[in-house]
Amino acid sequence: MGKVTIPIGPQHPALKEPESFAITLDGEKIVHMNVNIGYNHRGIEKSCEGRTYTQAMYILERVCGICSHTHATCFIQGVEEIAGLEVPKRGLYIRTMIAELERMHSHLLWLGVAGHEVGFDTLLMYSWRDREIVMDLLELVSGNRVNYGMNVLGGARRDISPEQAKEILKGMDLLEERTKYYIQVASEEVTLIKRLSKVGYLSHEDALKLGTIGPTGRASGVDTDTRRDDPYAAYPELKFKVVTDNHNDVYGRVIVRLGELIESYNMVRQLVNNLPEGPISVKAPRKIGPGEAVSRYEAPRGEDIHYIKANGTEKPERVKVRAPTLANVQSVAKMLENGYLADVPIVIAAIDPCFSCTDRMIFSIKNPDGKATGSMDWKALREYSIEWHKKQGVDFSKAKIR
Amino acid sequence: MNEEQVLKKLTEKFPFLNGNIRIARARRLFAEVPRANFREIMEYAHGELGFTMLCTITGVDDGGTIGFIYHFAAFNGVILNVKYGVPKDKPVTRTVSDLFPSAEMYEREIIDLLGAKIEGLKEGRRYPLPEDWPECQYPLRKDWDPKKGAGKEEVNKNG
Amino acid sequence: MLESIFQIIVFPGFVFLSVAGVFAEYIDRKLYARFQNRQGPPWFQPVADFIKLLAKEDIIPEEAEPKLFSALPVVALTAAVTAIFYIPTWGLNALFSFEGDLVVVIYLLTIPTLAFFLGGWTSTSLYAMIGSVRTLTQLFAYEVPLFMAVLAPAILADSWSLSGIAAYYSQNPLRALFNLPAFFVALVAIQGKLERVPFDIPEAETEIVAGTFTEYSGRLLAYFRMAIDIEMVVCAALLSAVFVPLWVNAPALGVIVFLVKLLVMIFLFALFRSIFARLRIDQMVNFCWKYLAPAALFQLALNFILKGLLN
Repeated sequence: MGKVTIPIGPQHPALKEPESFAITLDGEKIVHMNVNIGYNHRGIEKSCEGRTYTQAMYILERVCGICSHTHATCFIQGVEEIAGLEVPKRGLYIRTMIAELERMHSHLLWLGVAGHEVGFDTLLMYSWRDREIVMDLLELVSGNRVNYGMNVLGGARRDISPEQAKEILKGMDLLEERTKYYIQVASEEVTLIKRLSKVGYLSHEDALKLGTIGPTGRASGVDTDTRRDDPYAAYPELKFKVVTDNHNDVYGRVIVRLGELIESYNMVRQLVNNLPEGPISVKAPRKIGPGEAVSRYEAPRGEDIHYIKANGTEKPERVKVRAPTLANVQSVAKMLENGYLADVPIVIAAIDPCFSCTDRMIFSIKNPDGKATGSMDWKALREYSIEWHKKQGVDFSKAKIR
Repeated sequence: MNEEQVLKKLTEKFPFLNGNIRIARARRLFAEVPRANFREIMEYAHGELGFTMLCTITGVDDGGTIGFIYHFAAFNGVILNVKYGVPKDKPVTRTVSDLFPSAEMYEREIIDLLGAKIEGLKEGRRYPLPEDWPECQYPLRKDWDPKKGAGKEEVNKNG
Repeated sequence: MLESIFQIIVFPGFVFLSVAGVFAEYIDRKLYARFQNRQGPPWFQPVADFIKLLAKEDIIPEEAEPKLFSALPVVALTAAVTAIFYIPTWGLNALFSFEGDLVVVIYLLTIPTLAFFLGGWTSTSLYAMIGSVRTLTQLFAYEVPLFMAVLAPAILADSWSLSGIAAYYSQNPLRALFNLPAFFVALVAIQGKLERVPFDIPEAETEIVAGTFTEYSGRLLAYFRMAIDIEMVVCAALLSAVFVPLWVNAPALGVIVFLVKLLVMIFLFALFRSIFARLRIDQMVNFCWKYLAPAALFQLALNFILKGLLN
């Protein structure tokens, strides 16, 4: 077998999202790789421009299913900055608490995915089972398992009752015990260590040069964390340490994420125990600005940045979203240099990619004449799909949509 | 180096920045610079002031011009936002991907969504719009109407 | 004659093996699920899967050689079934036996692996081809330790027939303890043969989709899966025949003892599957030659010496 180029994606069992890697192999060794992203562009930035700030917040919350609170909070911080709103302490504490709970569920999810990518499904099942604890807590507090909708302009939407606080503390103890077990597994399980260490090597210098952020960068010794460097919400009042590691490989990324989990548990304990009394939100004006703001937020995957420009109306002039994956995806090619095919899934997974965040879709559907048209509304899309299926011999035109 | 020191250093080095640079709040600097001086300011900020990370590049449609906002970050959390504008009928600028390799994707995004031309960017696949997206359709421009979309007539004309 | 036909077709032949294969798959999946804190499938799930696959369309890639492509699953299935006739199951005597059938069984068990390789190669899909190259690479790594590990008890028993080995150890059950290292080596190597975690490299889902089986569908895939299930039972039977000196020479009780031995083996297989991560192919080859092969060699040398001392 000579050199072959195999496609990993856009549909591939290793990747749960549409992105594509064309990998040229010499036997099992990687000679060259190409990253193709952009399959999931939804035109969210454009649609924010046509909506009010509150509507835009809910749209931005749907940028990503896992770090939904991230984008909503990041956006709203910027808007509050332009409007000069003073968010009450209690509101900030609740926001921060949801943020940390979100980080836990994201990291636990990642741990399971990492296990699955190296064929260790038991780890996947275990960590996803434990993730249910934090999912249940999020549901208890916000009413939703994902897309919590806990933000309003000027504060938080829901208060936390003492009973909920007690449940959260109980959950933290349980999760901490489980996480310590995973740390033990990660440091003792031979096959796991073999698959993770010295894989996806990214030196400190390269990490700096390529601008990698978040746990990926921190595992290469890049000591940045927006929560500490540019504190927002309730982070200035919290005690925590930024976990870094010098393994520079996938193993280091596991260590960093597990360490961050422990820090998150402590942070949530501090937040629950010191929850200030008072209102949770203030009233926000409908018209905002003019002005501009850059808002930063440490998402589970790294730093999320929003640029917001307001023009004095109730709709934003420009919203720019930079999701962490876009900053990290370019380091994947570097990490896979001289790697093996078998390492591809875990190395890609190790940056904890989130491509729908990154791409934010305009659907383009081919007309019968082969030319693309622009966006379609629901009705047109439905008619198009009925036509398409008719050609395949299935008639859906009588089907009712609820 | 906090934001005040950065401001002082920058205005010392580039006197014309006086009045065009402001501190919005702690750790946030906004500067508007002429297109011609952008490169030297960037190199100075990168080399001397420690702004070694490029967070992202925002493209803005300002009516007659297309604005480029470069968000540079330092390790202590200070962000320097440098903006310049190019005329909309000739939106050409140069790449910064030689200094910040991570800029490549951000620049491609502006090419696709705002119709800028960026010189010096290495060959590559477009991002983030699909391969068969018609030419001269730039969704983030203010005159682009999402309801109308990239109409069929225009496709036939351009594509 | 009639008895032989009964044995070939019903027990321990085709019918028994099919049922046992399906049942073994169920036990394996259920145990795997329980180890992972999951509920696991209901008892009829493997049967349901099999029937569902039978009902599906067979798709043969245009580039593939259609005859070879469809024949390979049957070849794999037949080879796995044939191997059981030389393995003592419920009694000390296998259905057929001659001096040297040990070698025949090992080679019959290699045929399914070769069928997987050819199946992947003839599919002409990139994923399948990479999978088949891995199948073959892996075969060269585990086959030698496996063969040496199974040979070691034979040396001590001074018989290259599985029935002979069984007879020897049923008379001297304690001597089977000498073979414990070999048992461990064989157990690990069998994981490679059955392509299970940590050696499921040829069908590593997250890397190369379904590896060698990527292009297989419908009935052909059903036969392949049946072949793997039967191979698992046969391997379990082989391990218990060579290494577990527990024999009862009474038909009904013998069958029960045989089934219990199978269950224990399948339990070990499932345990292996759930506590490891998948290795990389280079790590797997390294492991087999650096640790498994020397361990098996050591056992062989030990058994040569023991043979001189004891017999």
